[in-house]
Amino acid sequence: MEDVLFRTRKTGKQYPGTVALKDIDLEVRRGEIVGLVGENGAGKSTLLRIISCVEQPTSGSMEMHGRQFRGKNLLEANLMGVGMVFQEQSLMKKLSVAQNIFLGREKSFGTLTFINWRKMNVAASKVLESLGLKDILPARKVIELDFAARQMVEIAKVLNLVGDRQEGCLILLDEPTSVLNEIEIKKLFEKMKLIRDQGNSIIFVSHRLSEVIEISDRIYVFKDGQQTALVERKNANEDILYEKMVGRSTSGEYFKVDRQTDPGEEIILEARNLALKGYFKNVSFRVRRGEVLGICGVVGSGKEEVCAVLCGDDRPDGGQIFVNSIERHFADPAAALKAGVLSVPKERREEGIIGILSVAENISLSSMKAISRHNVISYRERSNRAKEWIAKLNIKTSGPKEHTETLSGGNAQKVVFARAISGGENKILILNHPTRGVDVGAKEEIYLLIREITERGIGIVLLGDTLDETISLSSRLIVMKDGLVLAELEAPKDNKPSQVDVVRYMM
Amino acid sequence: MATEENNSGTKADMITTTVADDFSERIAAERTRSRIVELGPLLVMLALIVAMSVFVRGFFTWNNLAALLQQIATPLVLSMGLTFVLLIGSIDLSLEGVMGFAGSIVALLVLNTKNQLDLGVVGILIAITAGTLFGILSGVLHTRLKIPSFMVTFGMGSAITGFGILSYRGIPASVNDPMFAHIAAGAFLGMPLLTWFALVVFFIALSIERYTAFGRHLFAIGENESMVRATGINVDTIKVIVFAWAAFCSSVAGVFGAIKLNIGQVIISNGFLFSTITAVVVGGTSLVGGSGGVVQSLVGVIIVTMIQDGMILLGVNAYVQPAVQGMIVIAAVSLTVARGRKLVFK
Repeated sequence: MEDVLFRTRKTGKQYPGTVALKDIDLEVRRGEIVGLVGENGAGKSTLLRIISCVEQPTSGSMEMHGRQFRGKNLLEANLMGVGMVFQEQSLMKKLSVAQNIFLGREKSFGTLTFINWRKMNVAASKVLESLGLKDILPARKVIELDFAARQMVEIAKVLNLVGDRQEGCLILLDEPTSVLNEIEIKKLFEKMKLIRDQGNSIIFVSHRLSEVIEISDRIYVFKDGQQTALVERKNANEDILYEKMVGRSTSGEYFKVDRQTDPGEEIILEARNLALKGYFKNVSFRVRRGEVLGICGVVGSGKEEVCAVLCGDDRPDGGQIFVNSIERHFADPAAALKAGVLSVPKERREEGIIGILSVAENISLSSMKAISRHNVISYRERSNRAKEWIAKLNIKTSGPKEHTETLSGGNAQKVVFARAISGGENKILILNHPTRGVDVGAKEEIYLLIREITERGIGIVLLGDTLDETISLSSRLIVMKDGLVLAELEAPKDNKPSQVDVVRYMM
Repeated sequence: MATEENNSGTKADMITTTVADDFSERIAAERTRSRIVELGPLLVMLALIVAMSVFVRGFFTWNNLAALLQQIATPLVLSMGLTFVLLIGSIDLSLEGVMGFAGSIVALLVLNTKNQLDLGVVGILIAITAGTLFGILSGVLHTRLKIPSFMVTFGMGSAITGFGILSYRGIPASVNDPMFAHIAAGAFLGMPLLTWFALVVFFIALSIERYTAFGRHLFAIGENESMVRATGINVDTIKVIVFAWAAFCSSVAGVFGAIKLNIGQVIISNGFLFSTITAVVVGGTSLVGGSGGVVQSLVGVIIVTMIQDGMILLGVNAYVQPAVQGMIVIAAVSLTVARGRKLVFK
């Protein structure tokens, strides 16, 4: 029998309205590296948060060293031997390496008030040496180190926090390789093996399948909050993992695929070699009249940042944007709006609507000119327009005067859409997760709406909530990975690419 | 259908280098910026000293340097308190209130024109303790009721000013205690006694910042408070201590004021809030917390005091001087603050 360090039993996490994780039976043996792969939203991050006690499971149980494992916060998880290395590093830049390693545990290095830094530095170099990190000086400030070295310090810190025991500990690594170069990744893997060979275990989450296959002893595949496969390294190859990762494709009828428009010839939006330092580069694409261009990629692929650049939230470091063949520089979202590019943002409650304003006010927010006469708002005009849109989009509200914050997610989203398309002059719509947090019925209505919008000749750039959704709604797809466009795929209504076709380029 | 892409493996390798390099460039840029913010004020100070010595008549004279040393005492003490507050990302607007209050009551506790008390040094300790208690109160209100520090200290400052005026019922006490006169006129090794006291406060602050866990935690809280909480450090207690320390420093400054002017009234603190914030920020302590320190504030105090002194020597209109200070603080902040397009400023 294998020596099991940590296991979950039927662990699940339910949020109001959604199931994030269901019946997870994960087993981590002593001295192994377990890979965790899956699309965004598959539940990997949720599981890591539960194992590190940042969140509590709503069902099932966990065990560490054969004993019940349950904690209220990260600190308690640390005490039980589980540590998490955060993707966004948790080190304090202005403190020294040693001070970071022993943050909150300074007591053992001094009298009541004054700390013996030399003693702490000696202890820190021991910690660093146990990972073979002799070239990192404990007295240096973290800000003086490069990213890879910081990551090593973070790992050493976490290991020191939870390790120091004979029975082994568990380290969680969340996307540790995403901004490392090849040499740094190789080094990281060496350290991971070292940690493993010292009798500890690691859960490694990454969207780069080749890396997961290279370093993991066993790989769990997640999909839609459930584990779909457990693959031993010797049996693992990327194709098997792709297959297990993607979901079933929903019928075309649900996405109204038969109403997908055949895009016109006229190019209304073009990006040439767009770049944002550290996020993406060389991104080029064209959007034609009445077309839905889907951008696929995992979180961190740069697709969100492309979106932000397109709608004027971020200024690109390079490349050009053309709207109707005229080059544009968007200083801010208002400039983008003026050029005819409007976005429906992801964080609807925060960026899309103003909750304390009425439905009518929200709808007219981007088209003040149209409802004003001599720069004075006509309340009647505004109310009439609002009523018109409420009827057209079937928004369930008590009337144009209702506060938008009281609407359900789907209806609030429809208000955002009404605002976006009621301007009239808008030619391009950037849809960032338009169906996130929206119930099934409202989703279908939004799909219908997207079809109607494109029939009117508006072009759409879409970041879908699921791969299935993006493929089904789009007539063309670009796939991004690590900041570059890896593929451009046609998606005509009668010949949609499969999810595996797309995932292949994403991971 | 797909664009030419026969081997995604080699492509991925290429990308890992490109975006990673971009990323490390960003990290390097951040590092460079932090070094500039760290060294900039020091260079400005040296440049100012040279420029003023050369161009301002009467700057590099023994009398003027002595006057500068004398002037530096109060702002230095005040800035030591405010530095810690800014390091954790908060602000203390009650500085003038506490200073005026402590100055008012110390004058009532030592030999004075209004009552029979003659407590001497004990009176000074009582005044400083009373002022410090208000700092504790501000800290507790800030952490327990979760009211933003600027609002708590804003209100507290106003209330304390009221208490200060009430303490002498409108007519301030003049100090008769000979000890005050001795301290005011006294010097040791050519440096005024008050400046020595201020330096003691400076070295206390420096030791706290450099050699205690508490001092290191200030930086950590300013940079990422939630992470510090997750480490199990009692952030609220630290914050209360920081506000108490700030009030302690303000109270010491209040006693300085009473000693210098021989009178105890709240207006002795007028104008010090602004000049202290200016000094700390010019020194390079970030308004959002996490970077800076007391040495930087010492540099900032020297810069601001020299500029004030220089303007007087050059005969700049007294009404123009605050405007110049205002420009300086805005310029300093605009050079040090991190800008993000998505950050919301209120």
